[in-house]
Amino acid sequence: MSGTIDFTGKQVFITGATAGIGKETAVTLSRLGAKLILLGHLEGELTDTMSILDGKGHHAVVYDLSDLAGIEPMIRELYAIRGPFDGFVHCVGIRSRRPLAMITPVIMREVINTNLGSFLELVRCISRKGNFNPGLSIVGISSISSQRGHKGVTIYAASKAGLEAAGRCLAKELATKGIRVNTVVPAQIDTPAYREFLKISGENDESPDLLSRQYLGLGQPSDVANVIAFLLGGSSRFITGSAIPVDGGFLSS
Amino acid sequence: MTNADKISMLEEMLELEKGELNEGSVLTEMPQFNSMAKLSLIVMFDDEFGKKLTDENIRSFRTVKDVLDFME
Repeated sequence: MSGTIDFTGKQVFITGATAGIGKETAVTLSRLGAKLILLGHLEGELTDTMSILDGKGHHAVVYDLSDLAGIEPMIRELYAIRGPFDGFVHCVGIRSRRPLAMITPVIMREVINTNLGSFLELVRCISRKGNFNPGLSIVGISSISSQRGHKGVTIYAASKAGLEAAGRCLAKELATKGIRVNTVVPAQIDTPAYREFLKISGENDESPDLLSRQYLGLGQPSDVANVIAFLLGGSSRFITGSAIPVDGGFLSS
Repeated sequence: MTNADKISMLEEMLELEKGELNEGSVLTEMPQFNSMAKLSLIVMFDDEFGKKLTDENIRSFRTVKDVLDFME
């Protein structure tokens, strides 16, 4: 990838950069020369990610994205320090697993606000005139659960389906500003969240079936990070409004 | 929380009538104790008792008493 994509002089904002796909995306983009602004709600883990980045001049923000009202002032403050963005990657996501009977209004609000609401609010703030450089590319992380039914993930799946739908609409609305918006649709990826999921659910869950349909096997965070890098770069200039599967074949089986 | 309260929580979770469960009830023989009930149990332990259940824990539960003991 490093031979074809160069983010030298580009500034990319990544949410959910403390673990899994977000962390790997940060490492990948830093190797490609990007200056990063990483957002996470756990300071210690954010510091860990910062410590493994290539290059200098990166910036970390500790913030809980379930607080939608505070996003605009937080972004305004970031612009004052760092200037406009060239890329935005929304990796934050609460992977909620609850049967319908255990979904409370508090959980609904937390998951929908964090996974979907914060994406909309961040795009609203970032896409304002003067807040982005020409060619801004936005990538949201969806999930195969947005397109296939699974027990116990209703609220998570709904939030991701909303993200994909928002991505399509925003792509059209923001095209006149030269902004592209896409989502990536990962299947099972070997992240700490996936390992936790296996530990909790074990053989009683649908996980063996999920992996058997994912016929290229378990994905790695770098598989998704490389696609995100491609979508952020100019090589993908003709791609917008798309939901790109990174699923080891899952959606085709 | 008394054991009676905890049993009531389990009855509600499994959508059973009040009084249908007792400490000796064998969960593994109940059709209601399916994969979604097990996921509900994981969520209930996390929400109500601040405990993370693993698949191994759940597989060790045979009777209602086994679950109650873990709630301590």
